[in-house]
Amino acid sequence: MKFSLKSLGLSATLLLGLSTGCQKDFLDRTPSDIIVDSQLWNDPTAIAGLLANYYDRLPTHSTIYAGSNEFSAYDEAMWSGGGNYPNDLVNYDAFRWGNWDYRLIRDINLAIDGIDQYSGSLTQAQRDQFKAEFRFIRAYMYFELAKRYGGVPLVTTQLVYDFSGNTTPLQVARSKEYEVYDFIASELDAIKGALGNDASGGPIGPSVTRATRYTAMALKSRAMLYAASIAKYNAASGLNISTPGGEVGIPSSMAGSYYQKSLDASKEVLAGPFSLYRSNTGNLGENFYEAITRKGANPEVIWVKDFLSSKAYRHGFTYDNIARGLREDNLSSSTTSPLLNLVEAYENLDGTSGELKLRNAAGTDYIYYDNLNGPFQNKDARLYGTIIYPGATFRNQDVQIQAGVKSWNASTNSYQTFEGGLGSTYTSTATVTFPNADGKLLTGSSGPQSNQQDVSNSGFYLRKFVDSGAGTSTRGIASDIWWVRFRLAEILLNASEAAFELGQTADALTYVNRVRTRAGFPTPLATLTLERLQNERRVELAFEDHRVWDLKRWRIAHQVWNGSPTSATAVAYVLFPYRIVRPGSAMDGKYVFEKQLPARYRPARNFQLFNYYTFLGNDIRNRNPKIVRNPFE
Amino acid sequence: MPLAWYASGGIALAAPASSPLPEAGAVLADITVQGAVTDSKGEGLPGVNIILKGSSRGTVTDAQGRFSLKVPDQGAVLVVSFVGFRSQEIAAPTDGSKLAINLVAEDKSLEEVVVVGYGTQSRATVTGAVGKVEAQELVRTPASANTSALVGRIPGITGRQADARPGNGTSIQIRNLGDPLYVIDGVQSDAGTFNNIGLNDIDNISILKDASAAIYGMRASNGVILVTTKRGKLGKPVINVNGYYGIQNFTAYPRPANAYQHLRAQVEAEQNRAQQDHRTPGIVNDPVAGNITPDVLEKWRQGTEPGYKSYDYYDILFRPNVPQWSGNASVSGATDNVSYYLSGSYLDQKALIQDYFFRRYNLQANLEAKVTTRFRVGTQISGRLERRHTVGVPGTDDYFNPLLSVFSMWPTESPYANDNPDYVNQTHNVNVNPATYRESITGYNDDDYRSAKANLYGQYDFGFGLTARATGSYTYTPHTFNGFEYTYNAYKYNPTTKTYNTEPGYGNQNPWRQQVRGTIIERFAQLQLNYNKQLGDHGLALTAAYERFDSDDRAITIHTVPPNNTVPLQLFPNQDYLGDYINETARAGYVGRFGYNYKQKYLFEVLGRYDGSYLYRADSRYGFFPAVTAGYRLSEEGFLKNSGVGRVLTELKLRGSYGITGADAIGPYEYLQGYNFNRGASVLNGAYVIGIQPRGLPTTTLSWIRNKTTNLGVDFSLFSGKLAGTFDVFNRRRDGLPGVSPDVFLPREVGYDLNRENLYADETKGLEGGLTYSGATTGGLTYAVGAHATLARRFDLGYGQRFGNSIDRYRNAYENRWGDVGWGYHVLGQFQSEQEIADHKVNNDGQGNLTQLPGDYIYEDVNGDGVINGLDQRPIGYLQGGQPLVTYALNTSFGYKNFNLNIDIVGAGMQTFQRAYELLVPFQNNGTSPAYIFEDRWHRADPYNPDSPWVPGKYPAVRRNGGEINYANNDFLLRTVRYIRLRNIELGYNLPKAWLSKVSLQGVRVYVNATNLLTFSTINDLQVDPEVASGNGLQYPVQRLINTGFSVTF
Repeated sequence: MKFSLKSLGLSATLLLGLSTGCQKDFLDRTPSDIIVDSQLWNDPTAIAGLLANYYDRLPTHSTIYAGSNEFSAYDEAMWSGGGNYPNDLVNYDAFRWGNWDYRLIRDINLAIDGIDQYSGSLTQAQRDQFKAEFRFIRAYMYFELAKRYGGVPLVTTQLVYDFSGNTTPLQVARSKEYEVYDFIASELDAIKGALGNDASGGPIGPSVTRATRYTAMALKSRAMLYAASIAKYNAASGLNISTPGGEVGIPSSMAGSYYQKSLDASKEVLAGPFSLYRSNTGNLGENFYEAITRKGANPEVIWVKDFLSSKAYRHGFTYDNIARGLREDNLSSSTTSPLLNLVEAYENLDGTSGELKLRNAAGTDYIYYDNLNGPFQNKDARLYGTIIYPGATFRNQDVQIQAGVKSWNASTNSYQTFEGGLGSTYTSTATVTFPNADGKLLTGSSGPQSNQQDVSNSGFYLRKFVDSGAGTSTRGIASDIWWVRFRLAEILLNASEAAFELGQTADALTYVNRVRTRAGFPTPLATLTLERLQNERRVELAFEDHRVWDLKRWRIAHQVWNGSPTSATAVAYVLFPYRIVRPGSAMDGKYVFEKQLPARYRPARNFQLFNYYTFLGNDIRNRNPKIVRNPFE
Repeated sequence: MPLAWYASGGIALAAPASSPLPEAGAVLADITVQGAVTDSKGEGLPGVNIILKGSSRGTVTDAQGRFSLKVPDQGAVLVVSFVGFRSQEIAAPTDGSKLAINLVAEDKSLEEVVVVGYGTQSRATVTGAVGKVEAQELVRTPASANTSALVGRIPGITGRQADARPGNGTSIQIRNLGDPLYVIDGVQSDAGTFNNIGLNDIDNISILKDASAAIYGMRASNGVILVTTKRGKLGKPVINVNGYYGIQNFTAYPRPANAYQHLRAQVEAEQNRAQQDHRTPGIVNDPVAGNITPDVLEKWRQGTEPGYKSYDYYDILFRPNVPQWSGNASVSGATDNVSYYLSGSYLDQKALIQDYFFRRYNLQANLEAKVTTRFRVGTQISGRLERRHTVGVPGTDDYFNPLLSVFSMWPTESPYANDNPDYVNQTHNVNVNPATYRESITGYNDDDYRSAKANLYGQYDFGFGLTARATGSYTYTPHTFNGFEYTYNAYKYNPTTKTYNTEPGYGNQNPWRQQVRGTIIERFAQLQLNYNKQLGDHGLALTAAYERFDSDDRAITIHTVPPNNTVPLQLFPNQDYLGDYINETARAGYVGRFGYNYKQKYLFEVLGRYDGSYLYRADSRYGFFPAVTAGYRLSEEGFLKNSGVGRVLTELKLRGSYGITGADAIGPYEYLQGYNFNRGASVLNGAYVIGIQPRGLPTTTLSWIRNKTTNLGVDFSLFSGKLAGTFDVFNRRRDGLPGVSPDVFLPREVGYDLNRENLYADETKGLEGGLTYSGATTGGLTYAVGAHATLARRFDLGYGQRFGNSIDRYRNAYENRWGDVGWGYHVLGQFQSEQEIADHKVNNDGQGNLTQLPGDYIYEDVNGDGVINGLDQRPIGYLQGGQPLVTYALNTSFGYKNFNLNIDIVGAGMQTFQRAYELLVPFQNNGTSPAYIFEDRWHRADPYNPDSPWVPGKYPAVRRNGGEINYANNDFLLRTVRYIRLRNIELGYNLPKAWLSKVSLQGVRVYVNATNLLTFSTINDLQVDPEVASGNGLQYPVQRLINTGFSVTF
């Protein structure tokens, strides 16, 4: 036994010595993708990494890179991809648009503190510029919160929990709605100098991707216009949606000053180096498309979310939305079908209503057009620039949009409608016998088809934001079209609206007519109404994430989308073109158009009063009892 | 010449010397005794030792079991002994008569050696809940992954193979505790490695089900599966060659509707939709069939005219009788100083989908050599190559698209344009056209693992019960993924011009080329001391060990857009992605065990591990996980042993164990503050800028989960082991499940989350037990019948959850209730008529019943508020997709002469299947549906006459976009799954030894067997295998395998 104990002891010592000697080192591993304070704050490249992260995390609703299906949730388009959301939206959810993203606000506050604390070896100008840019992002973030929730807690420093169990010091009450807008205005005014970045120089020079003084003023122009119209129309509409503490609802007395602030900010932008894009004077429709999508030498854009194919930073919006007949990849395409409702909002160039002429005056028969694009002649050029309609081209190719044929049946004295597969011809086969089969096109390679997916269900395709570059509708190549957050045309419309509301109608007309002239209207408007401006925003800024927010701030969303199946603005319409087969008749070979209710989309849009301010929910309020509910919640 | 004797594990082994024994010298007047030794089947036993008691004189039996030996003519006693049989002493006859000796097999079970953590124990002294599976039981399921071979073998193991594609394993759990830890030849490993070691190379598997697993510390909470590979056995070299060839078919997969059913359903959908919208139904335009008029529909029904052909995409996609085969050759043996086992295997499993397969090569070399009488060195070297080959289907999972195609394709569409196999048809969704699922058309994906592992050990025996052992292990596993997806064209046939036309958007124009090259390195080192001593009645066993393990996993992914379909080289100009991945892990632990027994009657053991992990902060990395087990063998007590009961009750042991194990509760580096690199990105001023994102609060308040595992068990055997049984009750309480404190309300506005802490608790409790009965009849029939069952279920204990209101508590409480409860509506029945809908007082669909049609489900308005909504949902069903809560099995084997028959039946219950998507929603994904949805449905007698009477069916009336209320969770759609499955049936035949000896073969066995031949399940009507987890049924189900095989031993 003596021997064994000795050996045991020896062995145990050996074991322990071997293990304790390296135990700490052995279990200490270094992560491959985490950096620490000392590696960050004095390295401008690394701080730019923070900015890249924050810019990327800005809230979105309907954009080409996130939430593109939400384009189909209102009255611009219906959904024609897989599944049936958002066509099936019977109501808008009370929590819709929710985005209580205080994580980003915390990270911004952390960055502002970090620069103050640790960035000792940066120049003062660098520190000021970075801080100003972080504050811009924070101001934008608060604007995004305010347009969803109204007044929110204004958190401008890091809220640090001390693990005491007492969280009361961390509870920040909601500010009044106007206080948030005032905060945005004051922040933007405070930082615009430090941002620099304009043509006159500054740390990073001119930029459409990072905030400049003009980006700041563009945001102010938009935010102040929102505040002003909420102040005015919340009262004028009679809705008076508000909370007793003013967290929701802006006193109508403030409308004037907000309009003025918006107008002033717009004027600062208009004084800058921007101009409406007019490079393609020969084709105003193409010009309008280029104004949004053209990356080089585009004087109109102020702030964009950019993409870059060469670094594989790109999106599938073109893959998802290329017209079916032109797609270069399989599977997806054509998920957004613009609605006839939007198409008819584009006026004729003579200034008359954009309603399409489809039936004769008595309403007894179709109007027979020689060409598929017959109903779309002499239209606002922005229609072409935004939407591919029957008979239009894209990428220099015809987009075949024809639903089917209408074959005359002399015995019943009526047309019989035939529809086929994509790209099919009106040819009788062993299985199908078509009366008067003529071997010509039955259904276009791009549809439309009413009940299929990945093909237009409406008779229209999207052009705006769809890439015209070869291969960009494949998943392998994809698209790097940028997403426009601010461009000059919006600032002009903001200015026009603010001036109009302030009674400066002459100025208002000047601003809006600059936009309309670029769209090809030969005659400037001489009179102005709010409705006119509302329609102008609708057609100019379609698919740029303005529609629902505009209708909310004007307090007309609940009227436009009133849920009534008899309301022309709440119900979606589509347009199906047919070729006439009527041998021996003058009508043979002509085209007729049917306005229809879409098969995949039937409920009327129903925006209810509680949708004006997104609900906060129990979780937010349980965690911070100082937060008051939103109206109707 | 004396026999060479070795002592091993308490069993006397005898190896004959190399030449036959010469007869002993004629010192006395000797007589010659002749005789034969047979086993219970009457087969002659070769190699049996016949010794003259009290001398060194002896002989061995020949190939037929015969012997002759000269013995003194007076009082000679022969000792007859053979491994695995009870020794006998027989007086030598003096009358010259021949001896007929029948050796009885020992009741080995008590002396059987069981591998436990860091050592072995005899079955008799095991006090933990430890199960054991032997090699011969494993190979009965010819599975391509070893986990599948464990199903139904012993109590406590639950299994579910939701996705049974070639090479996939079964999700195995011990007592439904979660994924277990795998330890292979003493080295911590994982399920993937276990699945892919050669099935023939496994000697046995031990399963630590209770606190005895605590010796594995922080990774032991879900039990441990210990795998031991084969070693050479003392004796002549044994060369074995075996193999099998089998054919596979699905156990079940839903059949799609035919063209007529598909088109008729569209007409019905229009009729139903029109009724809901109060309008006249229109003619339905089908993209293939055109206007579906009654004439057209009738032609499709007949399907005889050209152009009205229905395509069955089940038959087009899934080939019947697909082969799986395997071959293995091994040589093993041992001499005085060296033991060796060398083996090579090949396995090839084809998929039912053409061009898809799984293939594996295995090599195993286990060697051990005595360097000195006290010092031994050894190694286990293994290598394997796994290849998972699929065609390069665009999209994510190459198996999913074919499974989806069955329902995404329309039965009216041909896979080939004009049925001409040279032209892929541009179907409505060509991406799921099965004609494209050919390597020559769409490319390939190869997912390869090559692994080489070497364990080296040295062991020194101090000669007084103490041994020291050092082990090192290194595993090198390169992983490569090689994918090339081609572009291809698809065509439409123009019958007028008789041409095949293609356009730019046809086919697939998204070329894709990707390689992943990665290497996983695992290192393991261990020092171990064992001390075993029997001091009189006191048995002592001591183990101490230190071990550590780390791994380094790195991979690079390169993606290019290839310019053509031929050149596989990935060149920089085409590159559009480069990804890099690094992951390290490290663990270390100190192990100790002390075992004591008194007369092998009172058994006691303490064990524990001081275990550390890289996951935790430096100052709190180590935890201590102790356990204690004890046993009491009543059958060894004199009052039992010597009584009448003792003659019947061979063994009765009470066991108990209690211990603490751990489980990881945290991700790597959560304890670090700082900033995550490469999170998000922006293009700023034309340049791509990689994003950096601040991390949340560092997690400093969270440690591992502590499990308290309790087990009480009893083992017994009766009639010398003829009837044996085991029964256990168990409970694992987990304390410290991670969660955020419910007592601190951190406002969302702070922008970060409160750290998780070790707060919550649950229990998994259950029972398991098994009985075996074995024996032989006088007619030569041997039999063994075993049955066992397991019930294990989680019970949530919770901690201080707070609730907004009573319904919140009712619905969301995770305290003091069984886990994994499903929620849904209770279906009272189906609306029988439009009148019944009109009269129905409850708003069933939330829209005033305007969307309801006869046949729709009527939900119970539980709270009586007149409207059906979430408040009316009630608990329905058990866990979905996971392990069944009840598992049982019946294992039988019969032997008669040279035949043997094995039948294994497994079953399970208390699991829930919730239908979804393809199995529920008509025309899901713009495709078609299972035939039964379009067939057994409510519908009007005439789909063209909206006034014709309703005809009842099992399913609601067909809708296209609509009728969603019928798809809500409810107890009509949700099914409790119970099944019984004929897991294995095998008939084998051993060629008579008499034949074999002529060609100098030791043994030849041929067999036929079948796996999953029959399944009786409560969801047979859905044509879904009960192990499938996905509600849409689109998973590669387990196969019915019919097999024939052989084994030849030289």
